[in-house]
Formats: sequence, C-alpha cells, structure tokens
Amino acid sequence: MLASAREGSAVTDGTVTEGTADTGSDILLEVRHLVQEFVLRDFGGAKGGVLQAVSDVSFDLHVGETLGIVGETGSGKSTLARSVIQAPPPKQGEVIFQGQELVGLHRNALKAARRNLQMVFQDPFSSLDPRWPVTRIVEEPLIAYGIGTGSERRERVASVLDLVGLDPVRYGARRPRELSGGQCQRVALARALALEPKLILCDEPVSSLDVLVQAQVLNLFEKLRAELGLSYLFIAHDLALVKQVSDRVAVMYLGKLCEVGPVREIYSEPLHPYTLALLTSIPDPDPQVGRRDTANHIKGELPSPLDPPSGCRFRTRCPLAQERCAEETPELRPMSDGHYVACHFPLDGWQTSAIRRVPDQSRIADDIVDNRPASPSFQSQETSL
Amino acid sequence: MDAPATAAVPDGQSAMHLAPAPLLEVSGLQVTFHARDTSIYAVQGISYTVEPGQTLAIIGESGSGKTVSAQAIMGLLPGSASVAGSVRFRGEELVGLSQRDMRGHRGRSFAMVFQYPERSLNPTMRVGSQITEAIRTHEQLGKKEAHDRAVELLKMVRLPAPERRFYEYPHQLSGGMRQRVVIAIALACGPQVLFADEATTALDVTTQAQIMDLLLDLQQQTGTALVMISHDLGLAATYAEDVMVMYAGKIVERAPAKELFAGVRMPYTQALLDAIPRIELEPHVLLPVVGGRPPDLASIPPGCPFAPRCPGVQDDCRQDAPPLKQYEAGRWWACWHPLGKGAQ
Amino acid sequence: MSLPAANILTTASVAPAAEVAGPAAGRRWVRNLEIAVPATILILLLFFCFIWPMVYPVPKPVGGSLTTVNLPLWSKGHIFGTDIVGNDVMSRILYGGRVSFEVAAGVQAIGLVVGGLVGLVAAYRGGWTDAVLMRILDVFIAFPSLVLVLAIADSLGPSETHVIWALSAFSIPAFARVSRAAALRLRDQPFVVAARLSGSRPWRIMFQHLVPNMLPQLLTFSMLGASLTIILEGALDFLGYGIPQPTASWGNMIASGESFISVYPRYVVVPSIFLLVTAISLNLLGDGLRARWNVR
Repeated sequence: MLASAREGSAVTDGTVTEGTADTGSDILLEVRHLVQEFVLRDFGGAKGGVLQAVSDVSFDLHVGETLGIVGETGSGKSTLARSVIQAPPPKQGEVIFQGQELVGLHRNALKAARRNLQMVFQDPFSSLDPRWPVTRIVEEPLIAYGIGTGSERRERVASVLDLVGLDPVRYGARRPRELSGGQCQRVALARALALEPKLILCDEPVSSLDVLVQAQVLNLFEKLRAELGLSYLFIAHDLALVKQVSDRVAVMYLGKLCEVGPVREIYSEPLHPYTLALLTSIPDPDPQVGRRDTANHIKGELPSPLDPPSGCRFRTRCPLAQERCAEETPELRPMSDGHYVACHFPLDGWQTSAIRRVPDQSRIADDIVDNRPASPSFQSQETSL
Repeated sequence: MDAPATAAVPDGQSAMHLAPAPLLEVSGLQVTFHARDTSIYAVQGISYTVEPGQTLAIIGESGSGKTVSAQAIMGLLPGSASVAGSVRFRGEELVGLSQRDMRGHRGRSFAMVFQYPERSLNPTMRVGSQITEAIRTHEQLGKKEAHDRAVELLKMVRLPAPERRFYEYPHQLSGGMRQRVVIAIALACGPQVLFADEATTALDVTTQAQIMDLLLDLQQQTGTALVMISHDLGLAATYAEDVMVMYAGKIVERAPAKELFAGVRMPYTQALLDAIPRIELEPHVLLPVVGGRPPDLASIPPGCPFAPRCPGVQDDCRQDAPPLKQYEAGRWWACWHPLGKGAQ
Repeated sequence: MSLPAANILTTASVAPAAEVAGPAAGRRWVRNLEIAVPATILILLLFFCFIWPMVYPVPKPVGGSLTTVNLPLWSKGHIFGTDIVGNDVMSRILYGGRVSFEVAAGVQAIGLVVGGLVGLVAAYRGGWTDAVLMRILDVFIAFPSLVLVLAIADSLGPSETHVIWALSAFSIPAFARVSRAAALRLRDQPFVVAARLSGSRPWRIMFQHLVPNMLPQLLTFSMLGASLTIILEGALDFLGYGIPQPTASWGNMIASGESFISVYPRYVVVPSIFLLVTAISLNLLGDGLRARWNVR
C-alpha cells in the first residue's frame, strides 16, 4: 500500500508525498491513516461516547521542511501532534519517523527513536517544571540519554541557551516564574534543541505571547531552522502566522484533512471552501480591505465532534454543499503539483479571486516603505533579551 | 435579588439641550495598584472621549493598561486599586461613586463583554435565567415579560432556536454561542456603551468574524457605542472607526482607522504593525522586531516609555516624556520624532 | 448581572513580578503572624517536652510516693500538683507530651511515605495499578476509622509502637487519596509530558518532577493530620487500648482522671488544655502554610 514511487509527483492512495522542489526528497516523517479516539465517560464512569479527534490523516514531511497545520477548535491538530510523539499512541495508523515505525514500540526503543523528535508546547509556563532552574530544565534530556560528562553537558546547555538568545549566566539559575512568557518559550526551545533533533513539533508555540514577543520568537524559529537545518511540524490556528513559517500547509477540520499544498498556492488559490472561509475571516490590518462578507463563505456553528456530519464533515457549514456531500466522504486527491483537496466541488480560480477582494500588492508595499524612518533600524532586528 | 438601584441623576444629564456632552469622557484617568511594598502605575493619566454610536478600538499588549482602564470605568477594580482622575458618563462623574450607584449604571448605561465566555456564565444556571436576571436587575418586569424579552434578545444575537436555548445550560453551547449569550446579557437593558475586552480572542477566527459582524450590526440597530479592547491591530483596522494605541499605561497614538494605517506616526504602533504576520508577505521572511520588553510599571523612568526600545530614539526622548497632543486634525500622538509625514 | 469577579491576577495588565495584597504592610504582617504564632507555640511545646527534662531536674513521671499524693496545683516542687499515686503531674505532662508528639510524628511520617507513594504510583501508572490500589485502600476507608484502629490496637496489644501502627491504618489511605489527587493534576501538565519526551524514566519523573511539586500540599495535609492523630491517640487511651500505664500520655492521663473528674477535675483539665492547644496550633500552622504556599 505504501509502495508508491516517492520521486516525482506520482501519488497513489491519496497520500501526500510531494513537497516543493527545494526541500529535497528525503522523507523524515510519514503518517498513514492516523486515527485517535477518546472515550468519554459520564459521571458514573459509564461510557458516554467516542470522540474521534483525528480521523484517517495521512501526510509526509520532508527533511528541512516546515509543514504548517492549521485548524480551529475541534480540528484535532493538537491531538495529531500528540499522536505523532506517541503521547498517547494513536488507536490506528502508522507513524514512521526516520524509517522506523513508532506505534507499538516499547519504552526503550521508543525512547531511542524519539531522540530526534522533540516538541514545544503552547503554554510556556506550564511546559516547564516550576521548581527547576533553567539550566536543569535544559540539561534533563542530556541526562536522560546519558550524553557526555557533567561538564560537557553544562557546556552544551550554555551553548544552546546562547543559541536561543538567553544569556546563560544571567538566566541560568532562574526559575520559570521569574521569566516572561517569551523567555520561557525560549527555554522550552533550548530544551528541545539540546539533543540536536531533526524534527520539532510545535504546538501553537506563540499563541499565548504578546505581538512583539511573538515576532521575536517566530524569528528565532526561522533562524534556527536555517542554521541547524531543522524540520518543523508547526501547528497553529492563525493562518497568517502559519504562512510565515511554512513550506507546505495542511488545513484540518473536525479531525480530517481538507487541503494540503505548497504555502503560496494555498493562500493565493485555495481549493477547499473551508480554507477560503478561514482566509476571509482573518481581519486584515488594512482598513481599505474592510469587512469581508464572511457570511458568504461559512455559516452556522461547529457541529459536535462526537457526532460529526455524514459524508463531508464541513457540509453543514459550506455554502456550496450538495447532496453528494452528505452521501460520500470526499478523499484527499491531487489537483495539481503537490496540491491536494478533499472536496467534491473544489473551488475555481475565479470564485476565489472574485470573492476575496485581495488588495493590490503594490499599494501595500508602498505604505510599508513610506512609514519607515530613514535609518535601517526597523530591519530584522534580533535583540536578545 | 436587589431591588433595581436608582442611580442619582444629576440635572446635567437630562439637560442635554445645553451642550451635547460626549457619551463618555475620560480625563486624566489614573489607576495605581498597591502591592506588597510597591505601587504599580497601571494607568497614568489617559484622556479620551466616546461619542454615541462610535466604534473605538483600544489596542495594546499586556501591561499596557487597556483592560485596567476599562475596568476602572466600570468600577470593577478590587479595593487595592486607587483610581484618580475623572470619568464622566453623560456629564455624571463616575469616579468615586458608591458601589450601589455604580450598580445602577452597570448594564443600563454601559456593559462589558469579557474574553472567556465560559467564565462569564454561571455553569449551574440556565442561559435564559441569566438573561432574565440581568433584565430584572434594572427593570421591574414580570417573569413572563422578562422571559419574552430574553427570547427576543437571543433572537437578536442570532442564536438559532432561541426558545429552546433559553432553557439550556452553558455547557451545551459552543464557544461562539456562549459569547452570543454574554452579548445578549450585556445588551439586555440597552446600555449606551459596550466594552468588549478581548471578546473574540478566545474564539476561532471564523467565529470571531461572525461575532464581530454581529456586534457591528447590533451597533447599527441599537445605536450603542462599542469600545473594542484588543491586541489585534487587524481587528481594529477591519472593524473600528477610531483606534487608540496604549503602551505602558499611556495613550501613545489615536487616529481614525483609515488614517492611522495609511500613515503611522508613533514608532510603537509601527512596531506593532510590522510584527504582525501578514498573508501578503512571503513565507520565511524575518519579521522586523523590536527587542526588549515593556517597562516595569512599578518604577516609571523619565522620558518616553518606549525610549529604551525605540529604533528612532534620540536624547530628548529619554529625558522628557512626550505629551499626547493633537498635531493634526483628529490625529493625536505622543512622540517627539514621529514617523512619516508628521516628521519635522 | 452575572459579571465575573475582576481578579487582577488574571488580567495580564499587571507586571509579572507584582503581587496583589491589601494595604501593603498590614496583610503581610498578619500573614506572618498566622504562621509565626502557632509555630512558636509548637516549638515551645516541643522544647519543653523533649529538651527541658534533659537539662533541668524534672521529677520522675513514675514512682511517686504515697506521701505526696493528690497535691494541689501550684504546690511547692510540683507546679501542677501530683496525681492519685503521687506522680508529679507536670512531669507526666512533659513526658506524656513526648509520647503524643512521637505518635503524631510517626503516624504522619508513615502515612506520608507509604500513603504518598501509593497515591503517586497509582496516579502515574493509572489503569489497573490505579484501580487495584485504590480498591484496596477503599477497604480501609470503608471501616469507621475508630473501629478499625481499635481492632488493630486490640489485636496487637497495648504499646506505643502498636498505637502508631494502628493509627497508620487511618493515615495511609488519607494520604494516598490526597497524593493521588495531586499527582493526577500534575501528571497531565505539559512539563511532565515534556519530561517524558526528554527521555526521563518514570521513576525519575515521579521523584524529581511530581514529588517536589506535591510536597507543599502533602506537608500541610500532614500538619492537619497530626492534630487529628493526637486526638485519636487520646481516644484510644480513653477507651483503654492505647499507651499502657504507668507510661504517661496526654490521652491516658485524661482517661485515668476521668473517674475523679468531680473531685479532682484538674487531672482531666490540665492534659486536656495541652491537647487542645497543640491540636489548635497544628491546625493553624497547617492553614497558614497552605495559605502561604497557595499564593505564589
């Protein structure tokens, strides 16, 4: 089933295997038909229902690539990330990291396999032990994997703290409650980098940070990606943010993938009505664009994940839904080079551009230039805290 | 259940024929929190007005004082906060009013919608009862009339099947629906100013768009002024008429939305704009960032609060704090060396 | 209007390093008193019970002579008088206090270590381990505590050590419950997941991440439990199952004085006062510490 030719754009059973040309063809992570379920229990402990948070999700991630996963509440994106790292392992499906199947691995083998796979969480404060000083937090993975001697580890901790822009002398002995959100997130990143992983899963790493700090941390992610050749699985609910950091983007809704494709195409020519609804919902910091008629693109409320709609899960909110959508679940299929969509009636180019009222690119560029002072002080200024 | 509070109405309020007082007039509002050994100057003298039916966005990051100032206006701050300055609602001074008198205003003159709808609603009370409770706080209505009014309100906030929803509990509703209920409660007695404190931040972006559309449509219908408090400049650009930017407890820029985004004057606002990831930008481009962090509100250094981080800082910035002045018609900023056309 | 209470700790508008309190110095001073006063009382009691008899020649608590029977309070050489067999009441209070504190400390220590461990493992492992361990504990909890303790004390025979074991049957399940609840709350925190991802082994995670974060809560719980233990021990003595005479403990002093309560009320009242003061101080200290550690 997986014996698809991975070179070129040949695709078999709806699995997404093509990346953009410049990211190489080595596949770092393969996810196949991933299913994750949660059993809900009523008060007395009786089974209340089964929540299928992730339903049959498959994708590939290449070396050096950042795959952005976008979705709203109930999309299952965070659950997806947890399933990939096997915390907890998925109910069904395969997760093949660096050629090795992770599902069902026993503890020691899993530990060895996970060495190159790390994660950064959403809430910077609760992802660090409140009682541990920074250096100890960053050293923990090194100790757990028995790497180096004490002094070698301390050196590595110091160098990785430098890498994320935290002076080890100043911040090493501090505890998380003495740090700001942005600084905590840097520590979390340092911890993730200590083992020199190949892939970092980022579960909404900047969502709880202030705007300016968010930009600093995003730049840090980018910088490290370039310097260390990292790959990211970047999960967020903010489309604009995801575009900033991704090479390819996947859109999820109620546990299923709606659309996957190269980043520029997803944004300029979305194929799935949900992607379009997401794009038009984003308030644009250009008052000329103004309110977009979101009501034309999405209606109603999110259905209960316990009882998702039959066929296409988006159909209850889709303005283009038809009978077929209720009867037949659309599969993810390729529309063009590397661009896949799970929809029976994907959008045309004219639908998207006519409706979206995308503002004139040149006008925005001029505005941005106009307001900058003469000195080059507003260019990518990275200041460590 | 309290009897509806009767707020003392000074003559100035009913005598609107004398001079049209702005709906809400904030002058030199200061809020200081007294902590263990220090005082925190959360809001340091801000002044602005809100006209009837206006849509104003107050933008700032955490620590800017945007939420605290709104809570001060509503009288929601704890006892450890001291509020100075003046806040006039239709001419009536609010600062220093007793809690009893403030209760008369809350819900009737102004109301607030908060960030987390699940925290704003009582989980053990049916949704409808929470609305009728709000109604009957201010108006003497019988049970049946209050019920009907509540269902009307639920219809107004576009909640599907309002009759049924009346009897449901908050946990049976989605986040967006809960926020609609909260808005219904807020608008139950027809307030003239509605504060929305990060009201859509915790919602999905599609729901956010729906709720913002709802709020603006309701504004048209009822003539309520809307004060949106947020960190999201995009939200301000799309939905607000006027935008006010706060930093470290002060207002640093104010302008009509269209003019603000066409030409920013205050470097902090520019930094905010630059830091927002935009769809128009290419991926993997580093965002222009300003380093550092907002100042510690317990010790205010002299000079402009943004000076330590401002790329365009000069000597006078560090010594004298620039005042907020109306340098152009309808445009205010607090900067000695503003950007763009304001530059001297 | 169902408005949420404006808690400025949840409003991000306040700089991270600040804390909210009332009039600055006042509340801090009171908070310190809440801990300082009961702590001082307990330290004084411990000092007098354990250290004082070693440095000052206190009369023996046993072997009183018939010549000094029933002396009243404030008698020369016997501040609290003597009991019906001539023992100095004051020294019986001091040595009895030792027993009471030892029992309290022992029971709490056993509960903390054994019960804490059981709860921790049950919470972290979950699944069958959790179910089995908790059901076993349920058996103990289902018994009325006093009956259970009596049964154990009766079968073991009267002695201080046996009293400690008997009372532990009560403290172990109590600690296990508290510890399990605390560990459950911590187990799903991102930093624990992160520790697992970092490759740390379960025991390491339990003892280096979970335990330090649970300890404040367990320690305050042990304070409150200690006061309860002292009283229970008194009850045991009162019922005749506790520390055997002639060894003194506050409980058995009350027990033996009960028959003379109409004639010589002081035999009951004096140890009761000490019992009361100790129990209250432990409670207050536990409360004060909990309040201090919760507001972080």
